Amino acid sequence: MRNITLIVIVSVAVILASVLIGPKIISPFSIDDISKQVIVAIRLPRVIVALLMGCALGASGAVLQGILRNPLADPYILGISSGAALVAVMGILLGSTALGLLTVPVFAFVGAIVTGLLVGAMGYKKGGLLPERLLLAGVGLGFLFSAVLMMILSVSTDEGLRRAVLWVYGDLSMADWSLIPYGLFFIIVGLTISLLRAKGLNALMLGDDIAYSLGFSPDSERALLFVSVGLMTASAVSLGGIVGFVGLLVPHIVRFIAGSDGRVLIPLSALMGGTLLCFADTVGRTVMAPMELPSGIITAIIGAPYFLYLLRKKDVLGERK
Amino acid sequence: MKEPGGILKVSDISFSYGNGKAVNDLNMSVEGGTFTAVIGANGSGKSTILKLAAGILKPASGSIELWGQPLESYKGRDRAKLISYLPQLLDINVPFKVRELINMGLYPYDIRPEMTTELAMSMVGLDGKSESVISELSGGERRRVFIAMTLLQGAGILLLDEPLANLDIQFQIEFIKLLEELRSKRSISVVMALHDINMAFHFDKLIVIRNGEVIASGDPRSTITSEMILEAFGVKVKIYHQDDGTISFGY
Repeated sequence: MRNITLIVIVSVAVILASVLIGPKIISPFSIDDISKQVIVAIRLPRVIVALLMGCALGASGAVLQGILRNPLADPYILGISSGAALVAVMGILLGSTALGLLTVPVFAFVGAIVTGLLVGAMGYKKGGLLPERLLLAGVGLGFLFSAVLMMILSVSTDEGLRRAVLWVYGDLSMADWSLIPYGLFFIIVGLTISLLRAKGLNALMLGDDIAYSLGFSPDSERALLFVSVGLMTASAVSLGGIVGFVGLLVPHIVRFIAGSDGRVLIPLSALMGGTLLCFADTVGRTVMAPMELPSGIITAIIGAPYFLYLLRKKDVLGERK
Repeated sequence: MKEPGGILKVSDISFSYGNGKAVNDLNMSVEGGTFTAVIGANGSGKSTILKLAAGILKPASGSIELWGQPLESYKGRDRAKLISYLPQLLDINVPFKVRELINMGLYPYDIRPEMTTELAMSMVGLDGKSESVISELSGGERRRVFIAMTLLQGAGILLLDEPLANLDIQFQIEFIKLLEELRSKRSISVVMALHDINMAFHFDKLIVIRNGEVIASGDPRSTITSEMILEAFGVKVKIYHQDDGTISFGY
């Protein structure tokens, strides 16, 4: 309980700090009109987008590692992000402005959902989604889409190229209030489904037969959880591109601290994922200002060493000592 | 071979995995408060029969009734309060702590039943292990964690697939005693796939399976004969009757 309280306190502090810290540090005790403008128009939407993305990635990583029974699964392993990236980058390079600011997010969301449906269809056999098939279908489609994406990027000389590359590594600089309601809606739906099915997720991790014996229908539990992951990942990717590490490692860090019960793991992974991405984005837009480092690079640089440290210290993957 | 009705009644079920019949016109009836052992060679269909009786596998033909109602008509949670199943293979590297895993036995319930996590843990000798991670435990301890979860689930019918595997002889005997205690308190019924024929003498009824068919059933003392063992397992043994009513084998 003490650990959980600590996570919550640290998270709130980091989120508040990321509103105040940036190329210009704003003191909370002397906010003038310009600072107010900066906070409302630039910082706040960006912090909220980072928070939403991180929440979605953390929670969907926690769920996905459970339904695939694979500690190395992250939300991108299902190829959803590659599909999103392919369609979004095509949108960027074609210079499409059909939907204004929402063009790239909508393209990405459509790419993500279509890929999710394809992976689901390929992973479906004998009346249910089979974890191994889902995983392989996701990896296969992901490779295919990434290859096509790289092909398009490598022959492109368009001025959108830099933006496309940045987007692929997580670009929150386009964050805007207009994006937030859509992201919020799908992430809340996904998070709610996964929280309501958290007991089912726990049971699935013991194997389908035991889950059945405990009163669950393994196929429908897995399908619902897959839908929740698909919605959250699609929303995250469409909000700000591909940010690595958060979905893979945040759930593991939460497991060390608070255990593996999905009812604690999912909400805490969401909170910690959101906090980590807020922090990474703040660092990314501050350290080399006015240049920005993509958040995905920062999360990996901060997170990977911490994870490796924990790996040495604790039994991460549930293997025998 | 028809059986009279019990609380779990399996009638004329057949099932195949796609490559020949795994279970053929099988009948089995479980009465309240009885212990049934299912024995047979590897691949004879013991596990398949337990999974069919649990509802995990759906029979191609025949019917299964639980308390007079078709098994498939029960809602999952209602069924889980009446019948539970523990598979043979549990070598899953789950990241849960002992307490977290055992507590899952309460999932079918909104209101906690009488049995507590602590009681279930002490019943299987896991006191003081509640915060251990499953992956840090030995094979036998892991099995006992799952047994404790099943006890906490508190169903009246337990379908157990070789639960004694990788348990020390001391825990095998303690586990059977524990089940007998539960039977005298709550009249539970047990159907257990068994590897060790010697353990069959603790059961009221023995069902011998070969190629998915019942080849013998009845009181273990009269059912276990050298002819039956030759037919079921394809080995010749000599059977010695002991003074205490048990049997020992000479190979």
